[in-house]
Amino acid sequence: MTQAEIKLCSLLLQEHFGEIVEKIGVHLIRTGSQPLRVIAHDTGTSLDQVKKALCVLIQHNLVIYQVHKRGVVEYEAQCNRVLRMLRYPRYIYTAKTLYSDTGELIVEELLLNGKMTMSAVVKKVADRLTETMEDGKTMDYAEVSNTFVRLVDTHFVQRCPLVPATENSDTGPPPPAPTLVINEKDMYLVPKLSLIGKGKRRRSSDEDATGEPKAKRPKQSTDNKEPIPDDGIYWQANLDRFHQHFRDQAIVSAVANRMDQIFRSLPVGYNISKQVLDQYLTLLADDPLEFVGKSGDSGGGMYVINLHKALGSLATATLESVVQERFGSRCARIFRLVLQKKHLEQKQVEDFAMIPAKEAKDMLYKMLSENFISLQEIPKTPDHAPSRTFYLYTVNILSAARMLLHRCYKSVANLIERRQFETKENKRLLEKSQRVEAIIASMQATGAEEAQLQEIEEMITAPERQQLETLKRNVNKLDACEIQVDETIFLLESYIESTMKRQ
Amino acid sequence: MVFPIGCLNSQAPSIMASRGGGRGCGRGQLTFNVEAVGIGKGDALPPPTLQPSPLFPPLEFRPVPLPSGEEGEYVLALKQELRGAMRQLPYFIRPAVPKRDVERYSDKYQMSGPIDNAIDWNPDWRRLPRELKIRVRKLQKERTTIILPKRPPKTTEDKEETIQKLETLEKKEEEVTSEEDEEKEEEEEKEEEEEEEYDEEEHEEETDYIMSYFDNGEDFGGDSDDNMDEAIY
Repeated sequence: MTQAEIKLCSLLLQEHFGEIVEKIGVHLIRTGSQPLRVIAHDTGTSLDQVKKALCVLIQHNLVIYQVHKRGVVEYEAQCNRVLRMLRYPRYIYTAKTLYSDTGELIVEELLLNGKMTMSAVVKKVADRLTETMEDGKTMDYAEVSNTFVRLVDTHFVQRCPLVPATENSDTGPPPPAPTLVINEKDMYLVPKLSLIGKGKRRRSSDEDATGEPKAKRPKQSTDNKEPIPDDGIYWQANLDRFHQHFRDQAIVSAVANRMDQIFRSLPVGYNISKQVLDQYLTLLADDPLEFVGKSGDSGGGMYVINLHKALGSLATATLESVVQERFGSRCARIFRLVLQKKHLEQKQVEDFAMIPAKEAKDMLYKMLSENFISLQEIPKTPDHAPSRTFYLYTVNILSAARMLLHRCYKSVANLIERRQFETKENKRLLEKSQRVEAIIASMQATGAEEAQLQEIEEMITAPERQQLETLKRNVNKLDACEIQVDETIFLLESYIESTMKRQ
Repeated sequence: MVFPIGCLNSQAPSIMASRGGGRGCGRGQLTFNVEAVGIGKGDALPPPTLQPSPLFPPLEFRPVPLPSGEEGEYVLALKQELRGAMRQLPYFIRPAVPKRDVERYSDKYQMSGPIDNAIDWNPDWRRLPRELKIRVRKLQKERTTIILPKRPPKTTEDKEETIQKLETLEKKEEEVTSEEDEEKEEEEEKEEEEEEEYDEEEHEEETDYIMSYFDNGEDFGGDSDDNMDEAIY
């Protein structure tokens, strides 16, 4: 793991789970697999705190454990999985677009809690949806169940590995930790549940007007007493499936843009005759993008989507775009030239790009120093003498992609740190504004007059309001940037993964 | 940005000699013919970089605007909500409240978190290594179910205090020893049991005031730590 990735993991863990979990998580990412006591000793944390942190990390699929010989359990962090936390909003939004609000909340609950039983999810989501509905209406469990099943059928949600059923638990002491297993065919098997019920609203009478604490009421332990029908069967979000969806989306939109470029003049209708469709496909196949390839002529020709090439094109487009935005369009022209011709000498670059030598040199060196372009030595003679060697400029897409990905991780870390800094700077003002809002809310609840509310609102002066507005704008911008960079991260990671698989 | 030529190694003198002396004497000796990469004779190279690049280098080009629109707004709001939500969940572990300067009476009645550092939520212990479970001392609960004390004798120090009162002396000693026995039995029998939920009712038996009486307002806004995101927007 690079320093940049570790730093980003640290920030993500700290934001979502607090400092203690962050300390333990980062330690494991740095050191690899370790047992409980070593973690406590090396981090200088109390054993109890380490236990708590590990429970949280394991629950959220960020740490796994393994029993080694002599009964020692070792814990290992999954750094890549931690980085996925950046993408949670995108997963949830995707679920919303595919399965509307119910799907959205199901995926949200699964991500927030790491893993849950189906019955727990259905109940929680039904309650949440009921809260948003009009008075008197409730969400039926059956509807939520149906959406859950659909999410499982399309593999967006999958089963977690199970505790194996013990045949003879009397033979010897139980193992220090279970070994969880999952069968391929069980991964999407929904248990037969008859979940009957409706969502419950949190009644406003729960909050006693006199302010008595809830403890005075008898504790609601009924939920714990009822036997859970799907006990032990846990579900988690299947991130790989979401990634497949994103990848498909990216390819489709890239092709759509391409089609727009070429066929802007043609009328857009949905009654495409077979001939026209044929033409489209041929054009796509011949297109230098090489997304679609034609494999054979049987049955009029089979068209295949070349995923690796598609991802490569997307990664390349990303690189080109970055060069353009960072160094200008002339640099971008040179970059595209070198990409196209694969290897070029200094002189050739100047000639083909039609840019004066001095500027061309300058631009090439700038890109070289930032590792977008590299120098390739081609010896003319076996002794590799420098005076008889070609030095060619070339773009190594894989290494450039890796370099850019590394920069992206750094960028996101910077964005998060800046956002935290901005918030910290204005902490006092934020607290004040919170208090004022709380006061206004409670006054409104007890029916205060307009004049009184005005008075309270004026507790925040105009310049302070201005400051709050600016803060809000900045935080929003930084957040939006994080989301944007994560999209680039996804593209680059997908390309790199696809390339590594082929090697 | 380090100028690339600076990274290249200097030549060994022997090779240099075979090339009939250096060209461009003002420059360093290099392993290859710099003309191949376009540095002509006598060209002025940029000065060497003597310090790290500035923290906020001036931007040559304006950055592309962020995407706006319904989708962007929604995902943004979702992100901020998630951040706030996660801080409220029991998975967010806060460091222990540091000990304060002076002991206060209300400390006894502060609901500052789960007892004995145990966790707030119930994981499925069957799926986790056994060593991760935190044992919970059940002293308090055991005592109140066995006897009806006016003041629960928590430690031996309390016990010493009550020695003064002759009427309760014997009774207390009996109770304490019997409790200690009970404790040991309980712990041996119920090793695998999950933690008990902290029962406010027992505390409330000891005082005439409701628990919010002891709220000294310290917790208000205190949870915010460094990030106040959930408060806004």
